This record gives sequence, structure tokens and C-alpha cells, in this order.
Amino acid sequence: MTLLEVLIIPKDDAVAFTFFTGYMAMLAASIFFFFERGRVSDKWKLSLLVSALITFIAAVHYYYMRDYYLATGENPTALRYIDWTLTVPLMCVEFYLLTKAAGAKIGLLWKLIVASVWMLVAGYIGEAFNPEGGDTSHSVLWGFLSTIGYIYILYTAWFGEVAKLAEASNNAVVKKGVRTLAWFVLVGWAIYPIGYMCMPGGWLNTSFGWGSENVDLFYNIADAINKIGFGLVVYSIAISSTKEEKA
Amino acid sequence: MTKATFIFISFLLLTLTLISGGYDASLSGQLIITTPFLLILGIPHGAIDNVLFLRNKKIKHVHFIVGYLLFVSLNVVLWTAAPLIAYLIFLVISAFHFGQSQFCHYFNKQTFVAKLLFFFWGSTLLSGLLYLNYNEIQIIMDLYKEFDQFRVLHRKIGLLYFFSVSVSLTIIFTVILTYKRLLTIENMFMEFLVLTLILSAFYLLPLLIGFTLYFIILHAFKVMREEYHFLKIEQQIVSLRGFISLVAPFTVISIVGILILFGCIYSNLVNLSYGYSLLIAFSSITLPHAYVMNGFYLLTYNKQYSANMK
Repeated sequence: MTLLEVLIIPKDDAVAFTFFTGYMAMLAASIFFFFERGRVSDKWKLSLLVSALITFIAAVHYYYMRDYYLATGENPTALRYIDWTLTVPLMCVEFYLLTKAAGAKIGLLWKLIVASVWMLVAGYIGEAFNPEGGDTSHSVLWGFLSTIGYIYILYTAWFGEVAKLAEASNNAVVKKGVRTLAWFVLVGWAIYPIGYMCMPGGWLNTSFGWGSENVDLFYNIADAINKIGFGLVVYSIAISSTKEEKA
Repeated sequence: MTKATFIFISFLLLTLTLISGGYDASLSGQLIITTPFLLILGIPHGAIDNVLFLRNKKIKHVHFIVGYLLFVSLNVVLWTAAPLIAYLIFLVISAFHFGQSQFCHYFNKQTFVAKLLFFFWGSTLLSGLLYLNYNEIQIIMDLYKEFDQFRVLHRKIGLLYFFSVSVSLTIIFTVILTYKRLLTIENMFMEFLVLTLILSAFYLLPLLIGFTLYFIILHAFKVMREEYHFLKIEQQIVSLRGFISLVAPFTVISIVGILILFGCIYSNLVNLSYGYSLLIAFSSITLPHAYVMNGFYLLTYNKQYSANMK
């Protein structure tokens, strides 16, 4: 299916709707971050480039995912996780770049990347290798393991190295920015497990009857909030800091 | 976010994944899981009430214990004479105590609005616990005949009404305190998030597991942490080991007391059910504890201590 063919989005299909809006929003955000990169001081250019890359990579994947979904009506699990495997570590890079001026070591970046890859690989095994019809114990085991990776990142952002470095930076803009990103990890990233638990055999699926179509609905909403929101926070820090430097 | 909140969120997420794995949610199954936590972590948080109360007071230890036992006896008499009133007093005092413990670290001075917030936050918690676990509460009430007299307080529509009013007033008072700059906007959102998570835990998890998760992490652990820092500032202890030795005697006495009570019920010396006698026992411990902690919070979150306690 290509763009030149007529794509029909059923009016009651919220998943297809969010795939299309997600795609456009990610693309628009990428263009915005690329162009705004020129307005911030040099030390923030790399951060904005990373923000643009995150949304751009997501936009490309959303382009394929929306078509896959419309053509098959199935969850594009593999494409989803390929996207996350690239973009989530890049979000960790944002944390590192923000706190680098306060003395963040490369070790911090690696720890965050390992935790995020752990979280994603466990989530992928839980989802992609879920037996036909769903297996609760499989979903629970890999969901539990994935959660451990998430909790590590949450701790690092709120109390661990990232929080301590932000505090030590004595820069109000960085402190506020890191705290806002920590809120994204706490609230925004917590939407993903809701989607995960909707898959066959998942808790929300077995206990509350939430269908597997909700998996993509929650993931799409969470992606839009986290990827674009994350980038906007970084952009806001960069603009504020640049203004302070000029003043 | 406080460390207690972080631990609560982590445990909630991990517990949710485990519960969805087909855990036996019967009352006895829940008791097996929760009792060790309640005994090892729940009871100790009130086990140094004597130390906190007697600080800078010229009252002998033995007099404190006699007064404490007298208070407990009066409470037991009230439970015998007017159980409904005793139960209501227990709920009201507990609501205020839970709310005070949740918010005390934000305020150097407890204003009238802050006290209203304490009460309604706690009543949201308790009415939410009863309403969101209505079916399980009915099973418990059917199990113990003494609980029949409390049915009037446990009607579904009444609980829903009280829960809705409490939630609304909690939101209003939190917003007022934020508007008055006694809470920051971030504090406000964090408290809304925490309350939402606690209520979600009550709804999603079995009754005792949901409550224990809140009680142990967000209440008992937080209180013990504050007590520990206070006693360190006061130089009454120097290490965690010192704190443990301080809380150990009354923790052991309380556990032995509960075991003796159960022994008496088992041998028909006390003609009460296990559940009902536990309720009276918890109420008897909670009332003096809430009184002591009120004094503790008024003392600790003034200018002298607040910087080191938060």
C-alpha cells in the first residue's frame, strides 16, 4: 500500500487514527527541532539534534506501522520495538547531555542505555514470543523483568546520578528541565505497561476484557506524549539557557 | 517525590505484574502474605511512642505505661459498651493520622486548612478502601458476626457518597494550600498522583494486599524514617542498629500481646472472633499512637528541625 492509493480509515478505528496523527505529529516535530536548532547556543545544538532524531526515527517507523496496521489489522510489534530500541536509548542520551556540564561521566550514559535495552528486550520477548491465544505466566515473567529496568531509570532520574548531577549543576534551568524529564519517565513512560497488559494473556486482557487492539492505542498515545514532549522540554531548556547567556 | 513514594510506585508496579500471574486472592492467602510485613514493619513504627512522648518531660516511664494501659482499657470498655461509636472514633482518628503523616513534611505550621486536608485525605483513603473493595468487605462482615452492627456504615451508596465528598474536598484543600503557596504546584501534582496510585492499588489489588502496600511503605516506612532522623538529630541514637534496639522491645511485647489474645480466643477465655478482637487491638494501639505522633509532627516540622527532616 502506498500513499497514492486510497487509504480508508474506518471512522470507529481509533488505532488507525492515532497511527496517522502520530506519524504526522512526529514528522512535524522533527522539522521543528531541526529548524529551531539554529536558534540555540552551540552547547544545545547536539541536544536538539538528538530530539529531532528521536521524532524522525519514530516518524519513519510510524509511516510503516500505519500501513502495516491498515493492511493486516495486526499489531506491528517488530517495527514498534525496532523504533523503541533506537529512540529510547536516545532519550537516555538527552539525560546525559543535560547533565554533562555538571560532570556526568560516560558511564552514566552506558548504565542508562543498558537499563533501557534490558527494559525493551524483556518487553519484546514478552510480547513477540507470547504463544497463540496468550500465556499469562509468560506475559507476567517478562513484564516483571522489564519493569526492573524501568524502575532503575526512574530511580536514576529522581534520586540517582542524574538527579544529583542536576542538583550540583547550580543551574536553575537544567534543574527544572531534568525534573520535568523525570516526570515524563514517571507518568509518560508508565502508559506503556497499560498497553503491554492488554495483549492476549495480559492482565487487563484476562481480568477486564481489554482487547489487544488497545495495545497500539496506548502505545501511540504514549509515544506522542513522550517523544514530542521530551523534545519540547529539551527545546524549552535550550531556549531559556540561550536567552540567559545573551542577557 | 519522596523515597517512600518511589518505593511505593516500584512495589505497586511489581506487585501488579505478580498478582496478574494468578495469585490466590482468598482472605487466608492474603493474610499469609501480609502478616509478616505488618508484624515486622507495621508494628515497629509505633513502638517508640514512649521515647517520643517522654522526651523533655518529667514523667516517669512507668507512669507513661500505666497511663497508656489505662487509655487502652478505656478504649476496650468503649468497644464493649458502644461499639459503633468506638469504631467511628477509630476511623476518624485514623483518617486524620494518615493524612497528617502524608502531608506533615510540607508544613512548618499546621494551619486549620492543612488540618482539614489531613482529615479529608485520610477519609478519602479509608472510604476508598471500603468502597473499592465492597465485595471483600461484605465477605469479612459475613465471616464475623460482630461486624453486623457496622453494616449501617458500610452501605454501598453511603460509602460512595462519603468517598466522593472526601475526594472533592481533598482536591479543593490541596488547591487552596497551593494557591497560598504552602505547597508548590509540583507538590500538588505529586500528591494527586500518589492518591490516584493508592486508590488504584485498592481497586486493582485484593483488599489486604492493597492496604498493606500503602500502610507499610507510604505510612510506616515514612514514619520510621522521620523517627530515625529525629533521634539522630537528638543524638539519642547513632546508627540504624541503635534504632532497631530502641523499637525492638515494644514490637516484641505487641506481637506477644496479640499472640496471647489469640491464645485466649482459641481456648475460649475470650468470647470474640479473631477479626473483631484484632480490630479492637489495632484501635487500642492507634489512638494513643496518633496522639503521640501529633505532638511529634508539631515539634519536628518547626524551624528547628524541618531542614534536616525533609
